Amino acid sequence: MNRDVLVIGGGIAGIQASLDLAEMGFKVSLVERLPSIGGKMSQLDKTFPTNDCAL
Amino acid sequence: MEGELGDFRVAVRKKARYVDEAKCTGCGACAEKCPTATSDAYNLGLANSKAIYRYFAQGIPSTYTIDAAQCRNFQPGKKCGVCAKVCQAGAIDYTQTDQVLEVSAGAIILATGYELFDAGRVPEYGYGRIQNVITALEFERLLSASGPTHGHVYRISDIRLKEEIPELEKSVQKAQRGLERFEKQFGQASGEFFSQYSQGKLTGEDFDKWAEQVKLTKKMEEELGEKKSRAETIEAAHKIAFIQCVGSRDMRFNRYCSGFCCMHAIKEAIIAREHDHEAQVSIFGMDIRAVGKGFEEYRNRGAKEAGLNYIRSRVAEITEDKDLSPVIWYEDTKAREVKAMPVDLVVLATACEPGAGVEMLAQIVGVSLNDFGFIETNPLQPLDTTRKGIFVCGCAQSPMDIPESVAQASSAAARAAQVLSGSGSMRLAS
Repeated sequence: MNRDVLVIGGGIAGIQASLDLAEMGFKVSLVERLPSIGGKMSQLDKTFPTNDCAL
Repeated sequence: MEGELGDFRVAVRKKARYVDEAKCTGCGACAEKCPTATSDAYNLGLANSKAIYRYFAQGIPSTYTIDAAQCRNFQPGKKCGVCAKVCQAGAIDYTQTDQVLEVSAGAIILATGYELFDAGRVPEYGYGRIQNVITALEFERLLSASGPTHGHVYRISDIRLKEEIPELEKSVQKAQRGLERFEKQFGQASGEFFSQYSQGKLTGEDFDKWAEQVKLTKKMEEELGEKKSRAETIEAAHKIAFIQCVGSRDMRFNRYCSGFCCMHAIKEAIIAREHDHEAQVSIFGMDIRAVGKGFEEYRNRGAKEAGLNYIRSRVAEITEDKDLSPVIWYEDTKAREVKAMPVDLVVLATACEPGAGVEMLAQIVGVSLNDFGFIETNPLQPLDTTRKGIFVCGCAQSPMDIPESVAQASSAAARAAQVLSGSGSMRLAS
């Protein structure tokens, strides 16, 4: 059984899943259609309910 | 894609950046010198970018990319090559091509996120027609310190006005140079010439042309003067209205609730007030959905700290005043009256829809979509798609906010790890 994982989508969910898997020791390939990862969250100014910076 | 759980083989197209990732240092010299301006997708068209660009400054990877559709070097007959000349690292490579890579994996996680509903599909709200009606994501860019207005919330019509001035100045200068040529040719000042011409003392084709030039130049100078004086009085957009459920909870478009928009509207209102103490913010909604830890308190904070005016209503129509102010027509359901509220800026909370291309992706990887177009899952097994070994998390599964997306992502990672370690049973979704 191949133990590598392919994650499709480099937004906040894809990044989190990839990091968790990598930290567990799995080899992860993260595919993202835009030139950088970050997704919609990178376009936000702050996040609710704490008003922390999104980036 | 071929294969199954434990042995998937996926063909992935790696698109050419035309920049060598190993060499590019992200210094930005290329973009500085690039002669081709493009619409900045990251800033949703509110700013300009270049044909060679980084999606955003802090983006990972920091490698630049050339948009071949816009770059002059890739258009037939045109030659440029400026970026290659100025790149100190020699990272530009116009000969790059797309590559198809074969990735093999035991499990796949779909985390393709969402797209926002196109507000132009709601004709009564005037998005695309009325300048000062924008979407919430566009408003986020205005609020951002790194955004096109450095965090100042201006009416879009005022932003456009300021942008027009340098162009108009150039045109005026060009027109004035035209006048100077006539003055040199005939040895007379334009003003003096024009008064003689108007009295009919001078006739002839050349004089007609000169007179036209005088009139045109004067018109442009007046326009420039008027625009400049208007630009001096520009203030922040004080009156802001947030309209909820645009494309959501709507029998015409998406019947479901998009979950996070009431919260982001409250957030945007609070921050707008922080940036501008004179901001008067109203939010028009059927109800305010603040379901989450601390969310009701946040809603109340909006009212208390930002003076956010919650108006229970479904906005009927937005029209435009002569001074380009949007006017909101709505029913005040408490007073049972139809009212009109002119504001500076309208922010539409558009629906969360399935990501672009998700239909094609679902076909390629062989998973089902639900009635709303999101990846189908069983409510009791929300991470499992209809195909063994393929999992889903975040908004690809259903609209959810950031903490929920992150939690589901960690769950999906754990689920994949569980199944690949052979320790978890692979209960099917259906």
